[in-house]
Amino acid sequence: MKKIQLKYFDFFLVVTNIILIFIGILFIYSSNITSVGVVFSKEYLKQILWAISGLGIFFLLSLYPYERLKTISAYLYLLSILLLILTLIIGKEVNGARSWIGFSDIGIQPSEFTKIAVILFLSSYISNTGEKIREIKHFLIALAITGIPAMLILLQPDFGTALVYLPVFLFVAFVGGSRIDHILFILLTIILTGTLVSISAFKDIVVSNTHFLFHFLDDSEVMFYVALSLLLVLLLAIIGYLFLKRKYFYWVIYSAGLFLLSMGATKLALRIMKNYQIMRLIIFLKPEIDPRGSGWNIIQSVTAVGSGGFWGKGFLHGTQSHYRYLPQQSTDFIFSILAEEWGFIGCVLVLTLFSILLIRGLFVAYKTKDTWATLVGSGIIGMIFFHVIINIGMAIGVMPITGIPLFFLSYGGSSLWTGLIGMAIINSMHIHQKITTV
Amino acid sequence: MIQKNHGGKNHVDSSIRTQIQLKERIFIFLGIIVLIFIVYIIYLFNLQIVKGLEYKKKARNLTRREIIIPAQRGEIYDRNYDIPLVENVESFAISIIPGDIPDSEKIKIFKRLSRVLKIDVSYIEKKVPAKYYHLYQPIEIESGVSFDIVAYIAEHSEDFPGVSWRSKPKRKYRLSKSMAHILGYTGDITKEELQILYNEGYSPGTIIGKSGIERQYDRILRGKDGKRFKIVDVKERSLRDEKVEEISPVPGRNIVLTVDRRIQELSEKALGPRIGSVIVLKPSTGEILAMASYPRYDPNIFEGEDSEKLYKQLLLDPSSPFLNRAIQSAYPPASTFKVIMTGAFMEEVPNAKERTFTCTGSLQYGDRVFRCWRKNGHGTLNLFQGLAQSCDVYFYNVGLELGVERIVSYARDFGLGSLTGIDLPGEVGGFVPTPEWKEKVHHMKWLGGDTINLSIGQGYITLSPIQMADMVAMVVNEGTIYKPHLLKEIRDPSTGKLIKEYQKEILHRSHIKKGTFIELQKAMRGVVTEGTANVVITTKAVEVAGKTGTSETAMEDRFHSWFAAYAPYKTDNPDERVVVVVMVEAANEWEWWAPKAANIIFQGIFAHQNFEEAVATLKPWYMKSIRSLE
Repeated sequence: MKKIQLKYFDFFLVVTNIILIFIGILFIYSSNITSVGVVFSKEYLKQILWAISGLGIFFLLSLYPYERLKTISAYLYLLSILLLILTLIIGKEVNGARSWIGFSDIGIQPSEFTKIAVILFLSSYISNTGEKIREIKHFLIALAITGIPAMLILLQPDFGTALVYLPVFLFVAFVGGSRIDHILFILLTIILTGTLVSISAFKDIVVSNTHFLFHFLDDSEVMFYVALSLLLVLLLAIIGYLFLKRKYFYWVIYSAGLFLLSMGATKLALRIMKNYQIMRLIIFLKPEIDPRGSGWNIIQSVTAVGSGGFWGKGFLHGTQSHYRYLPQQSTDFIFSILAEEWGFIGCVLVLTLFSILLIRGLFVAYKTKDTWATLVGSGIIGMIFFHVIINIGMAIGVMPITGIPLFFLSYGGSSLWTGLIGMAIINSMHIHQKITTV
Repeated sequence: MIQKNHGGKNHVDSSIRTQIQLKERIFIFLGIIVLIFIVYIIYLFNLQIVKGLEYKKKARNLTRREIIIPAQRGEIYDRNYDIPLVENVESFAISIIPGDIPDSEKIKIFKRLSRVLKIDVSYIEKKVPAKYYHLYQPIEIESGVSFDIVAYIAEHSEDFPGVSWRSKPKRKYRLSKSMAHILGYTGDITKEELQILYNEGYSPGTIIGKSGIERQYDRILRGKDGKRFKIVDVKERSLRDEKVEEISPVPGRNIVLTVDRRIQELSEKALGPRIGSVIVLKPSTGEILAMASYPRYDPNIFEGEDSEKLYKQLLLDPSSPFLNRAIQSAYPPASTFKVIMTGAFMEEVPNAKERTFTCTGSLQYGDRVFRCWRKNGHGTLNLFQGLAQSCDVYFYNVGLELGVERIVSYARDFGLGSLTGIDLPGEVGGFVPTPEWKEKVHHMKWLGGDTINLSIGQGYITLSPIQMADMVAMVVNEGTIYKPHLLKEIRDPSTGKLIKEYQKEILHRSHIKKGTFIELQKAMRGVVTEGTANVVITTKAVEVAGKTGTSETAMEDRFHSWFAAYAPYKTDNPDERVVVVVMVEAANEWEWWAPKAANIIFQGIFAHQNFEEAVATLKPWYMKSIRSLE
């Protein structure tokens, strides 16, 4: 094995990553300063420290042979689960969620790092299972591997972070060769549940039952019979499938199961979701309903982005941000302040940097000869991608507010480190690929 | 490679297959990423570039607050241009910015402020309820606060955190009651007014003229409000260090009226507390020298605290103090109409002056008997005698000879039935009846009796005092009426420089021969020298010509009393002449007051005396009644 040299580093990956972090620090600074230039928060300094330490970890981990992670992935996974349980017990509550663990000011969010551990272990399981992942049993085990930590995070309760685990699972399972209908089942269940929850929340608060469909969906007795008949159909179809082995029974089971599961999930979601979370769904569909309350964030953010125009208002000259109309500027809405001050050009720049990062990452994952590595790469890229589209989508008003950060830009050490660890693993793949091929 | 092939051929095959499938799926994944990013960029393009301006405006509106800096309202002077009749008195409005007061101190500061403003603390608490405590918007607590109080608060500003003040000048009317009907008053703009005037630079909270000159010339008086833009943050705190755009206000211009303060006061006192009105007009230009109407109101009350209550009270007063009777009430002209009849008769009938009719006290027409005011009759009279004695029977005959069409035509020529266009809002004109009108409205034929009634200015015919003044002006000017007006000059508020001078404007030019008017003047002089007004018009200061009128009303032994006159009768300088019209309503105990008031007014104007001096000089036999008024 040759000595690892800096030139083996993935140039694109490292440079775009550093630029993104730099832009992030710039706008955290911008969000820390008032319109008259008074710095009222030291977040940007903390972020610089997080960035330096994070980049240190990045370089060290890049040198670490990534294959070894596979052997310890199970331990990492278990450790994460333990940490999550510990968080639930002794964690510190921030913004209504018991998600922090640590001493005084310095702390981490285990739920962030767990994402990496889940990707590593999930990839191990799927790559070890190989072709058998097409079987429903293994698919469900893979789902459970992802689901357990997600459930623990839901208990904190941190809905946004928990949400990220599902796409991570879907991406890894998809690239890992799962059956499309299995993946679609999960996807459709989510969509259907989301729709049902939205409708039921929407009709309660917004429209006063104008459509017959609302009446129908509202009537618990009707819904009970619908559920009952679906269950009956499901049972008959299972029996039919077991005895007659006809293909169409499978699709009947598939559809009935989909609906039943969605209905159950809706019931559950409506019970456990907090009022503000339901409100977030409603204001996403109709922000004008409560412009000074829960609709505020989305309206101010879209206004900030839109008012940026082509060139933006100039660094430190955003009005939405510096007059504090924009909430949570350094974390959830970092993209809004950027869009306001750097305009369309800045947005395209950031999106371009992210796409370079993601495409380059996928390219590295594609190049590896190792299934596990490919899956790990896809999982990491999928995770970052999901964060990007949800966070930016929320800033521009096309996604509901979930409070998940924008990797590398948003203020916060745990998120930055998680992103950098993910990128380091991909970089390591690239480096060790180079070493073996050269 | 760390992955070990620990198995048979099958496993390797499937592994390869998986690998291939895996790679394909990575491409699909890549496609999804690229697609969503493109969609996002297109969306951003739409948001930031296509709709960018819209959002820029929205963002700007969010942070920009417009503060109106009210322009100083112009002052109003009488023709002497020495002391303003209306001026602005410094006054302040006190506001609280609740967010600037620490919560723990709020009640303490409210109490302290209420003590200084001499109001109840509950009044402040009602204006600033607890739900407003976080606001950074100023809430007005009290307006009309004097400078002393503001100075005290300013000196002790550390004791009054969050308390601020701004200048809100009050309108102060001197000679208040006398001029109320001319000057009018001001008030906050109403929603309805704003709807109409929004495009002309009026904004909510603007002070606007509500009646009189204040309303008529609001655009001249109000100037142009300035604006200050401040930038506020999300808590409505203004960002002091941001540069502030400012548009300075343009002060309103001063107005000089044609009114002479001295004559106004004289007229007002001469009318006394009798329901009615007085007009003093300069016929050569149309300038109004005085205009008094009773009952009056004090426009200063609208600046006070109980303004709403007092306003309602005045509005419900059955004697209608808001009514400017000089221009907003119409009455039958009665005998004053005989001036027009005389003019028409001379114009239409050859040798009219020599025509005689015999008055026996009444005239039989068809099956009706029309009486003269003098039951015993006047005997045989010529035209001038007929006018001087105001003989009804004489004019019944004149009327029958002229016929209704010609009477109507002359009445209109003298300005009856059309507005004078005086520069005051709300003028109401009288009415000239015609046979067509009667048929259309009353579904009755115009009868000879109607013509007889019309001949002595009774029946349906009405006119306002200002129309009466114009009628006399036409006689004086020998056929020309100048538009009556109150505006004399517009002057710059700071330098006093003349900006615009009102130019006299011909309202009407009659086709009647000049000679006829000269004869009419003689006839009117005859009324004073030999006729009905002889006993009352005692002034030696000037030769007066005029006509009395006592119109019948529904009340027995109560009559509207008119006197329409001018002086001097003969002059080389027409500018010297004044027309005086006095109208006293029948509601007053009848004492034939109109010519008496006119007598005092003429004396005062031409002897340069005030009311008391004029009365002292005239020593009139009706002094008793004047004394009783004082």
